Amino acid sequence: MIAILTSLILTIVALLMASLSIGDVPLSWRDITAALLHTGYAPQTETIVLDLRLPRALLALLVGMGLGAAGALVQTVMRNPLAEPGILGINAGAALFVTVLIVAFPAVSIAFLPWAGFAGASATAALVYALSWRQGTSSLRVILIGIGVGSVVGAGTTVLMAFGDIRYVQRAMIWLAGSVHDGDWHRVRTLLLWIAPPLALACMFWRELDLIRLGDQTARALGQRVEHARGMAIVLCTLIAGAVVAFAGLIGFVGLVAPHIARFIAGPGHSRLLPVAALTGGVLVMAADLLGRTIVAPAQLPAGLVAALIGAPFFGWLLWRRRHVPA
Amino acid sequence: MSRPDAERPPDLTASNLTIAYGNEIIVDDLALSIPGQAFTALIGPNGSGKSTILRALAGLLNVGNGAVMLDGQSIARLGVKDLARRIGMLAQGPVPPEGLTVLDLVKQGRYPHRSLFGRWRREDDDACEEALHLTNMEELRNRALESLSGGQRQRAWIAMALAQETPILLLDEPTTFLDLAHQIEVMELIADLVDRRGKTIVAVLHDLNQAARYADYMVMLKAGSILAKGDPNEVMTASMIERVFGVVGNIVPDPVTGTPLCIPLAPRRDRARNRTGNMLRSDNSGGHLT
Repeated sequence: MIAILTSLILTIVALLMASLSIGDVPLSWRDITAALLHTGYAPQTETIVLDLRLPRALLALLVGMGLGAAGALVQTVMRNPLAEPGILGINAGAALFVTVLIVAFPAVSIAFLPWAGFAGASATAALVYALSWRQGTSSLRVILIGIGVGSVVGAGTTVLMAFGDIRYVQRAMIWLAGSVHDGDWHRVRTLLLWIAPPLALACMFWRELDLIRLGDQTARALGQRVEHARGMAIVLCTLIAGAVVAFAGLIGFVGLVAPHIARFIAGPGHSRLLPVAALTGGVLVMAADLLGRTIVAPAQLPAGLVAALIGAPFFGWLLWRRRHVPA
Repeated sequence: MSRPDAERPPDLTASNLTIAYGNEIIVDDLALSIPGQAFTALIGPNGSGKSTILRALAGLLNVGNGAVMLDGQSIARLGVKDLARRIGMLAQGPVPPEGLTVLDLVKQGRYPHRSLFGRWRREDDDACEEALHLTNMEELRNRALESLSGGQRQRAWIAMALAQETPILLLDEPTTFLDLAHQIEVMELIADLVDRRGKTIVAVLHDLNQAARYADYMVMLKAGSILAKGDPNEVMTASMIERVFGVVGNIVPDPVTGTPLCIPLAPRRDRARNRTGNMLRSDNSGGHLT
């Protein structure tokens, strides 16, 4: 386990160094060290490193960690390896609220966008959970209702896109594409404070998560309050994924793929799975962002797009590998 | 696990039990007392409410009317964890999560004995070891569940329930989907747990003859009501089989164990070409089998 964590952290450090050095203005190790140490002899380099590249890379790391952990949570609770946080309607809800804010109320400051996104994510997740409640709920019902509510909410977003002012619609589209390009220290700090407590809580409750994945009946017969455990996991997942969506827009596939990679390297136990899934997600989004801003430089591809480009083939491979597993 | 046989046997009783799904009444005013430290088999046709009754006994259902009492206390009042230390239940055909090993699964059985953040203790290890030993799964402990045969997988689930160390164990169709050798293996294990460990076991079974062979107490159900209960010798009669299953059969003593053995008469083949069927029907002594 220590070896796994160490190699993941080393990968993250390597990606971080690469993110700091690669760009329109290539920087050497010496430039970076000097900037990080605040020597003050090259203010321009310091601005590039400290105000642009470092917060952006850290935001990518946090976003990825949130998506990886939230994905692991939702796959466990839904007992479905193809689930991702979006299944709870989180993405669709955030997209709708943000689009409404941008297209219908263009005068409102963009500082409210994260709040709108988070509110949309939480409201939709709560709606999905409430609609699937019938003297207790079941994973399958949550999934089906999540898909239904997601479509309806998505249709609302499409209507706004179709009839809104084209300039505003384009702004909304950029937000929806999912990106960490506007990472600054304020965002990094806020997101960190936002997702650290639910992440820590999720890791502490690994035992409940290990048990609930055995199925409602078995978990209940072993003495678990299944509804409590499921409700808690869904709340934690909504907090984490909602915050991530609020700050970075829609970044798909990471929440789906990171838990699978984590399960592959760390096994199915949640005491190991959750931290490894979080770090794996961090690696994926950092790499996606780095790739996105270098391969077609000076143009920048949003991290969400790159993640989808990498994630889609992996998704195919995943299905192919499971072709003999009866559904 | 090694509960001394002298310990007072648990008393699990259902009285005036009525269970409905929506408006459909599944179990109607049922009274059943499970004999302690014995093997009880629930028998009945599909849809007779066997599994529902088992789930109610395990406290997994909200019962409409009546109550299930454990040692004089309503199980609805017991905490979920407290109940899980006293009654273990294995659902029918549970699906294991991918990648889980036998030991991972068995360790889950210790959940009700641990506090929220309590450490893994020596006695937890001992209980898992004993459960693996009893089910003969020691060699397979590190194998992934999906790589096991159906019989081995069933034994792994039983091992998990044994690690729970409950005096009462409820099993929902533990032998369904298993081949004959594995069915016998599971039945032997159940009988062993009752005889040597003093467990109280209730199982839903489909094979009448296996049930008669191994069970100490047999409960015949039809449409949510008990038609007969007691020693298999008394319960398994030709008229009862016909009433419960609508099958005409002969009851003969099992040539190996002497327990009742049901031989259904196959009406169509009987008429068409099997004249020996008439012989069977006229002679109920079973002597012709030797």
